[in-house]
Amino acid sequence: MARLFRFLEKKRGTRRTGSNLAGSVGEALFFAAIFLLGVGVIASLISLHDPAAYGFGLGRWLIIMVAAPFTVLGSAGLIWTVLRIGVSVERRSAMAQTATEIDALSDVIPARPEYPTIPDLEGLKNSPGIELSYRLPRTETPAWRLLAATIFTLAWNAVACVLTVIAVRTHVARESDWYLTAVVLPFLAIGGWSIYYLLRLIVVHTGMGPTTVEVSDLPLEAGREYRASVWQQGHIRVFKFEVCLICEEEATYHQGTDCRTEVREVFRRAVFEQTDFLIEPSQPFQCSFFVAVPADAMHSFQGPHNSVHWRLVVRGSAEGWPEFRRAFPLVVYPSTQTLQVQVSSEQRRQAMTPPLRVVAGGAGVRA
Amino acid sequence: MTGTSLQDEPLLSICLGGNRKQYAAGDELICEYQIDAIDTSDMQAVEASVLWITEGKGEEDLGVHYFERRLPADAEDGDLRPLRRFKIYLPNSPLTYDGAILRIRWCVRLRLFARRGKEYVLEYPFTLGSVPAVPVDPASAAADDDE
Repeated sequence: MARLFRFLEKKRGTRRTGSNLAGSVGEALFFAAIFLLGVGVIASLISLHDPAAYGFGLGRWLIIMVAAPFTVLGSAGLIWTVLRIGVSVERRSAMAQTATEIDALSDVIPARPEYPTIPDLEGLKNSPGIELSYRLPRTETPAWRLLAATIFTLAWNAVACVLTVIAVRTHVARESDWYLTAVVLPFLAIGGWSIYYLLRLIVVHTGMGPTTVEVSDLPLEAGREYRASVWQQGHIRVFKFEVCLICEEEATYHQGTDCRTEVREVFRRAVFEQTDFLIEPSQPFQCSFFVAVPADAMHSFQGPHNSVHWRLVVRGSAEGWPEFRRAFPLVVYPSTQTLQVQVSSEQRRQAMTPPLRVVAGGAGVRA
Repeated sequence: MTGTSLQDEPLLSICLGGNRKQYAAGDELICEYQIDAIDTSDMQAVEASVLWITEGKGEEDLGVHYFERRLPADAEDGDLRPLRRFKIYLPNSPLTYDGAILRIRWCVRLRLFARRGKEYVLEYPFTLGSVPAVPVDPASAAADDDE
C-alpha cells in the first residue's frame, strides 16, 4: 500500500492506495466547497434588487441555473460521502442480498421462545469469529449521527452564507446594516463550529481503526465464564484501553409530545485494562480475557418500552484523538441460581399451613 | 393488593396452591378463584390471567402468560361464582426484577365484568425466580424523587 499520495496512477476500481481517512475527509471537503460555491453565487445574485436582471435570455437566470446544480451536487455528494463512512461495499452488498431473500411468510409466524422477552440471537450469531465462535456487531452505528450533523451543517451554513452575502453587499454599497451584521456574526460562529464538529466526527469514525470483539459462546449464561477477544486497529499511541462488562436499564416514556429514553447503568465490571502502548497499522492490538456475568444477575430483557441490556464496552483514550467508546451487545440468559427459589425456613412453615384465601378489600378467610 | 370492601360490592378471592408467594421458572402454578356477594344475573364475564407488568420510569409493558375468559354460557347453570381452578406452568422469563428505574412483577389478575359496565379487579402478586434487588444509589434515588 502506497504511503504517499500519487497524482498520476491507474484507477483500480473503488479501491484506494492512499489513506482512507484523507480520502474521506478530502471528499467531504470537496463536496462542501462545491455546495458553498453554489449557495454563495445564488445568494449574491438574489440579493441584488434589480427586477430587470430577471428577464429571459443570457441574464441572471442562466447563472442561477448553473449555480443550482452546484448546490445540489455538493449537498448530495456530502451526504453520500457521510453515509458510506464505516460501511464496506461487501456489507452493503450483503444487506441488499439479505433484503431480497426475506421470506415474508416465515417471518410473520412467531415461534414460541423458550425464554420469552429475552432478545433473540438472530443478529448476533450470523457472523463467525476468526479465533472464537462469534463476532459481535456494534450496538450503535455512527451513520445517523453523521447524517444528522451533515444535514444540520449544510442547512445552517446555507442560511449563514446567504445572510453574509447580503450583509457584505450593504457594506460595499456604503449602506451598512449593522443590525444585520450583528445577527450574521453568531450565525457564522455556529456555522464554523458545526463544520468543525462534522469534520471531527468524520475523523473519529474513519481514522480510528475498527474494533472487533469475539466471544466463545452465545448466549451467555449468568454464572458461567466465557472467553472473549478484542482487536483494535489503527495507528495510534493509546494512553488507556479498557473493556468493561456493563448492564443498563433502558426506559422509554412520553412527556407531553416528547418521547424520552432514560438509561441507567446498574452493573459495571472492568474485564480488561492496559495503558500506554502503540498500535501499528501492520499489527493490530489484540487482547484475550475471560468474561463472567454474576450468577445472581438479571437476564437480558426486551419489552416494548423497557429493557435490560448487557454489553461489552471498549473505551480508550489515545494521543491526538478524542476519547472513543464502542459497545457490543450480549444476550444473557438467567442462571440456574436465579431460576430457582431461595426458600427460607419460615416460608416452608407457612407453606404447610392451610391456604389463605385473599378476599378483595376484606380480611382473609380460611378455606 | 387492589379492591375495595364496600358491602354492596362483590367479593373476589384468589388462592395460589400452597399459599405460595415464590415460584421457580417452570414451576406448576395452581390457582383457585371464586366470586361471591353478587347475583348471578349481574355477572357478564370473568377473566383470569397470569401476567407480568413493568413499573418504573418507562411506560408500562405487559405480557400475558395465561388468560381465560368465561361467560355465563360457559358455566354450569350459568353461574360464574363457584370455585374455579386452573393449573399452568410458569415460563423461564422474565424473572421478577427490582431494578433502578425498572421493576418487573408477576401477578394473577382476576377481573369481573358486571352489569352497567362496572368492573372489579383483584391482583395477587407473586415472585418468579430469585434475582436480588439492585442496590439503590442514594444520589440517583434523590434525583428520581425530585422529578
